[in-house]
Amino acid sequence: MRLLTHNMLSSNVKGVVNGFPLRLEASTWVEKEVDFNADFLRSVFPKIDWPALFGASQTVGYVALPESADASMLESEDFLKKFHHALLEIHVEEGALVCPETGRRFPINKGIPNMLLNEDEV
Amino acid sequence: MATLLRTCEPFDLRGLSSARRFEKEKRKPNPSRVLYQRRSQRSSFRAAMAAEGLKKGIAEFYNESSGLWESIWGEHMHHGFYDTTTPASFSDHRSAQIRMVDEALRFACVPEDSSKWPKRVVDVGCGIGGSSRYLAKKYGAQCQGITLSPVQAQRAQALAVAEGLADKVSFQVADALDQPFPDGHFDLVWSMESGEHMPDKNKFVSELTRVAAPGATIIIVTWCHRDLSQSEDSLKPDEITLLNKICNAYYLPEWCSPSDYVKIAESLSLKDIKTADWSDNVAPFWPAVIQSAFTWKGFISLLRSGWKSIKGALVMPLMIEGYNKKLIKFTIITCRKPE
Repeated sequence: MRLLTHNMLSSNVKGVVNGFPLRLEASTWVEKEVDFNADFLRSVFPKIDWPALFGASQTVGYVALPESADASMLESEDFLKKFHHALLEIHVEEGALVCPETGRRFPINKGIPNMLLNEDEV
Repeated sequence: MATLLRTCEPFDLRGLSSARRFEKEKRKPNPSRVLYQRRSQRSSFRAAMAAEGLKKGIAEFYNESSGLWESIWGEHMHHGFYDTTTPASFSDHRSAQIRMVDEALRFACVPEDSSKWPKRVVDVGCGIGGSSRYLAKKYGAQCQGITLSPVQAQRAQALAVAEGLADKVSFQVADALDQPFPDGHFDLVWSMESGEHMPDKNKFVSELTRVAAPGATIIIVTWCHRDLSQSEDSLKPDEITLLNKICNAYYLPEWCSPSDYVKIAESLSLKDIKTADWSDNVAPFWPAVIQSAFTWKGFISLLRSGWKSIKGALVMPLMIEGYNKKLIKFTIITCRKPE
């Protein structure tokens, strides 16, 4: 699971008011090189919840991202490279996504999050 | 809005389905052994289904049969689209499956202009990701696929990696009726032959609508039953019986008509609602699938896959029967979320 994906997943447990962002627990992760595409990064930036991305990248030990970011930083190649790395090149293989309100754990196995709810949670 | 016709036995046992109520009223008292056996078979079926649960059943069906399908038919788990005038040979089927995707995009008027291509796609009921990967390649888009089957999600991811698309497509195990995505996130919402698995068509289309961005295109390609005529309250008993058998084998909770989908879309204020009957364009498909099951490779693979796959294979002639009787309609519904 890339952090780009983490940035769009939320808890849909019944009664949860704000299920985003899910807290990331990562026991295993890998880094895979991805072609750098500045245009893509600039177009996706407005859709990214930066605090969630920052928090997730800290969890997997990537500390190079600034704690806050704004569109002016997209002019900086250095910033774009760090953004690119955090968003697309870190793959969480094993771990969990945790609902911020209920603590409900959605497991990540072999890179695939399982977001299915049980009948009593729907 | 009209209540959707429940044509298949419900997977939870709260209340009788209208189909079963219909059977009870019409049947004359008959103490024959055959009827008793059928009743007890039906009730044990219902009990089994209630216990298993629809979602689990769907997941297990695809966990079990996905590999078999892929080995013979490839990465696209949907019908091919064929010309109605030229006969199709076996080599045509894979390109027909790709054509199905392109025809659906064309019907929905997804722009050819690359500056207007979708950038974020959700593939609802993604199978092993055939559509997701195709759309990612075609549009350079980010695609998220969801499926109930962990086996399918893993396979979809592996194929994405193998094709160098791991940076563009991602797969999750998730429920189409409770998608784990924020409102308005996707500019193309894609459901290729998954709608027939949804137990609540209203909720299904509502979720597709919720995750669609303003102006997004929603494309649903699905199996429906024929529209009812003005004088009809329900399908005929033999039609319901046929659909019930298919539901049983393929873990389909209920069927509705194309008009039902249109009404739901209208109730959600979706725009540019269009629908078409592509039944004639998919006619060569099931005979070809049956033929593939009778090859040595198909037969052995089927035996190895398990009972759910075998049951699915045995029911294939009923799909042809359903199409021939103009009962089953291969339907496309497309629309747009208002800006």
